[in-house]
Amino acid sequence: MADIVDIAVSAGSFQTLVTAVQAAGLVDTLKSPGPFTVFAPNDDAFAKLPPGTIHTLVQNIPQLARILTYHVVPGRLMAADIAKLNCLTSVEGSEIRIDTSHGFEVKNATVIAPDIEADNGVIHVIDTVILMG
Amino acid sequence: MLSILIWLPIFAAAVIGFWPGTISSISTRLASLTVAGLVIMWNLFILLKFDISNPGMQLQEYLPWNETLGLSYKLGVDGLSVLMLLLNSFLTWIAIYSSSKQTERPRLFYSLVLLVSGGVAGAFLTENLLLFFLFYELELIPFYLLISIWGGEKRAYAGIKFLLYTAVSGALILAAFFGMVWFTGSTNFNYDALPTQTLSTTLQIILLFGIVLGFGIKIPLVPFHTWLPDAYVEASAPIAILLGGVLAKLGAYGLLRFGMGMFPQAWSILAPSLATWGAISAIYGAVTAIAQKDIKRMVAYSSIGHMGYILLAAAASTPLAIVGAVSQMFSHGIILAILFHLIGVVETKVGTRELDKLNGLMSPVRGLPLTSALLVLGGMASAGIPGMIGFVSEFIVFQGSFSAFPIPTLLCVVASGLTAVYFVILLNRTCFGRLDNKLAYYPKVLWSEKIPALILAAVIFFLGVQPTWLVRWCEPTATGMVAAIPLLE
Amino acid sequence: MSSLPLTLPAPTQCPMPNAHYPCFVMTATILAPSTQLPPSSHEFAPVIHRLEAGGAMLPDTPENLMQIIGIYKAYAVPMDFYWRDLLYIAERVFLNPFPFFKYFLPKEYLDLHNHYAGDDADLRIWRGEATAHPELLAFMEKGETFKMPKLLHHLWHDRINMEFAEACMRAMLWHRGMGGNFDPYLDTDEYKANADRAIKAYFKGNPVMLGLYQMFPEMFIEQVRQLSYYSNLGLFWEVMAPVFFEMSDRYDAGDIKSVPEAMNFLVNAIFAMAGRPIYHHVHIRGEVYEIIPKSCGFMWLYEAALPYVEAVFYRTAPFRGTKSYNAQAKQVPDNQKDFHYGILYADVFPVGTAGIPPTLLMQDMLHFLPKYLVDYYHQHCRGEDDMLIQLGISFQRSMYVVTSAVIQALRTALLYPLDDPNPRHLQANRAFFETQIDRFKRPEARLRDVQSQNYR
Repeated sequence: MADIVDIAVSAGSFQTLVTAVQAAGLVDTLKSPGPFTVFAPNDDAFAKLPPGTIHTLVQNIPQLARILTYHVVPGRLMAADIAKLNCLTSVEGSEIRIDTSHGFEVKNATVIAPDIEADNGVIHVIDTVILMG
Repeated sequence: MLSILIWLPIFAAAVIGFWPGTISSISTRLASLTVAGLVIMWNLFILLKFDISNPGMQLQEYLPWNETLGLSYKLGVDGLSVLMLLLNSFLTWIAIYSSSKQTERPRLFYSLVLLVSGGVAGAFLTENLLLFFLFYELELIPFYLLISIWGGEKRAYAGIKFLLYTAVSGALILAAFFGMVWFTGSTNFNYDALPTQTLSTTLQIILLFGIVLGFGIKIPLVPFHTWLPDAYVEASAPIAILLGGVLAKLGAYGLLRFGMGMFPQAWSILAPSLATWGAISAIYGAVTAIAQKDIKRMVAYSSIGHMGYILLAAAASTPLAIVGAVSQMFSHGIILAILFHLIGVVETKVGTRELDKLNGLMSPVRGLPLTSALLVLGGMASAGIPGMIGFVSEFIVFQGSFSAFPIPTLLCVVASGLTAVYFVILLNRTCFGRLDNKLAYYPKVLWSEKIPALILAAVIFFLGVQPTWLVRWCEPTATGMVAAIPLLE
Repeated sequence: MSSLPLTLPAPTQCPMPNAHYPCFVMTATILAPSTQLPPSSHEFAPVIHRLEAGGAMLPDTPENLMQIIGIYKAYAVPMDFYWRDLLYIAERVFLNPFPFFKYFLPKEYLDLHNHYAGDDADLRIWRGEATAHPELLAFMEKGETFKMPKLLHHLWHDRINMEFAEACMRAMLWHRGMGGNFDPYLDTDEYKANADRAIKAYFKGNPVMLGLYQMFPEMFIEQVRQLSYYSNLGLFWEVMAPVFFEMSDRYDAGDIKSVPEAMNFLVNAIFAMAGRPIYHHVHIRGEVYEIIPKSCGFMWLYEAALPYVEAVFYRTAPFRGTKSYNAQAKQVPDNQKDFHYGILYADVFPVGTAGIPPTLLMQDMLHFLPKYLVDYYHQHCRGEDDMLIQLGISFQRSMYVVTSAVIQALRTALLYPLDDPNPRHLQANRAFFETQIDRFKRPEARLRDVQSQNYR
């Protein structure tokens, strides 16, 4: 199977995410054995952000890395596993609120395609970029 | 020469009263101000011509008028009246300045004010009882009109009450005057032609009683004072200044001139009761003032209290006490003028006089800082803080009266202390505290509203620091008048 | 959930209607909620509905818009000085024991390029130049009086009141713990080690200060923490100044026509700048010492903007010298998070008349008011005489719009779009708005007053 990065690249709808990961220098991390659970915002999710947000972040790598690592949780957690929890701790350090009572919701984002398995983890596709706070 | 003080204002009143209505209220006010200014100048001129060392009547004028009635046009000025004349003309000027530039029916207003001013000057100047009574009654209708037309909400009630009380007062005085002339068998009403000493003591006491009662309504003395709060409160600021600053002094002057001056033996007999009465009046005025919620009413009751000191000093009849009485008359007039003027400004700008609603007026940018500061000053002056004219007069009164009547004097000192109580209440609520944001959009205080208060404050300070300029005029007359009064055993 | 601490709503009553401006609850037009939800039952329901419709806490009227834009411009000019001087103090003056000339900004910092304006900007927010604003330079020349040597201007206090900026910094420092990672970092060993290096380098060859440092290391570290907050605030305002300038230019050109449009500009700016790094680099004798390196990943939004809004808009501290407080009678809250002395709660009347930080800012703004605002103030209240208070109240309105922008930005970041079809999401939005507005229920809050145009 492919690893997380390969899946993202080949899917075609994660171009912004891939560019960001590359700019942040997190490619090697996400290719490592992990395992990782990644909540991956698709291109539409990034497009929802007000203009200029990505521009500034891309110019500042540590800050960009922070946003990206917020979308990563250590461990291989399938949707069923996550459903039993109501809170996850991201690699960045802040918490991610989970709500599975009406559909699979991660903070203010909805998971549109859960459980995409990779060698070193699981990808859940979300429709909004999640932020700390 | 003295006649000018009477007839210039009256003549100007006639001119202003009848000139074309097209002339604006501002021009009318300016014209009246000019006339009042001229009167002050003339008054100062007379003051300079006044011989300080002479205890008797000076600068006399005499015109026989109606010999059969005993009425003659006899004018004179002595230490007792000279300061009162100055007070009258000065406060007239201040009152006209304090009046609004948009006074309604300005011709009538200013002509009445000038008429009143001339009449009061006449009352102070005359040496004939009947002439005095004529000038005394001359005030009645103009003041009634001034209160009833330009006053506050309850002005009709206040005006009628004032009219009734003052009319009764006039009737009593006239009765006493007639008694004096008839029983002494004198042919005319001139002051120096009445040998009241020849009357029996009982008769003297009865006549003096009439005098005291009549003028006691005017001063006023508790319990005849009930017309005053309504009249002062409902009158507009300039009229309140004239009422309190000038008209009340007429009562005190009458008491001194006719009571003490013409019935020395009866006076010394009645003196202890009068002293106690004065103390009661002072305490009553102060205590009632503390209970008030309307700041103008508070100052009105304060006025009653302060007039009580004059009765005490008059009763004590030592030279120092009489000097104190005259100084207190002058000082009370000035202080009352500044207080009523400033309260008038506050009422115009803020729209209310209630203690519960006023707050934070000292706030520099959105409040009335200069007005509040001068109000503090006025309150301090009234309470008798040293450095200001109030202290000077009160101190002389107490010093002069203590040797004669220690207990009433102490009561008056207590009343003076209570003055500080209600003024602190007034100033604390009105000037200090927080401006209410929702309501504090007051218009600016104009310079024309500040100037009268500044001038009065300057006078208060000047005479407080240099009291000789206040007392030197009346010392010889005081000594002269007291000499005739037999000492009590 | 959000970085703004949630406080329990204080029990209040609806204010009594009064002569000058009616209680807003009885305002004629209550905006119908534009969502599918039933009307809110919150005390400030009209405001909630306005927020849900994409508006601000301030009503959308041309007069309001004119006031806030004019004040933004008047605020931005001194802000241009503040951020430059704050960075100057944080980076160069550093631990100078006698910083007598810390307000004498050197040319180097006046010419320092703002990262968000000018041709070489990272992200060009303002169309103007990157160096100090020409009005600021003109004022620094002449002041209110006339051209004098700089020292005389300084001693006469005829200058930009930098004390206000320092007061804001001190508010942030004193409150601390308001969220974000910047504050906890200041207590870590890594920070202390960086600070230690910088302190030793700064005082190299100064045995007295080094000896003092040996005896009282914590004192020096605390001073460095304060300087880190200087840098934090300076970097924060470096971003806000071009934002305000651009808003003013757009308004003058007619591109911003309503209060929600102005607020949206702010929201977009907040997002655009969210990732800006917050750092503290000190320049000692030509070398750069990174006390807080960029690699820590501190972001403008979380580590600067949100703590600033919390500390300066909401909390601050009671101003000494204007009122006395009885601590035993609990007139000052026990908990710092209950403090309510910020601009959103300020009583501008007394504040406008004493020499305390907000008045200093008002005095600064007075010098740079656009003409349309000066004319406007002349027509109301006492005209020239109380312009400070009038502009203070306009400033309060404008800060309510900034706070609204922050609230809307947080909603965008952490919650759902306003036109989300899912009613549960909309309910979550509403709950968020209501919790934020709950902080304005207390009687000192000015949210009620700014709803009326007569509050001047």
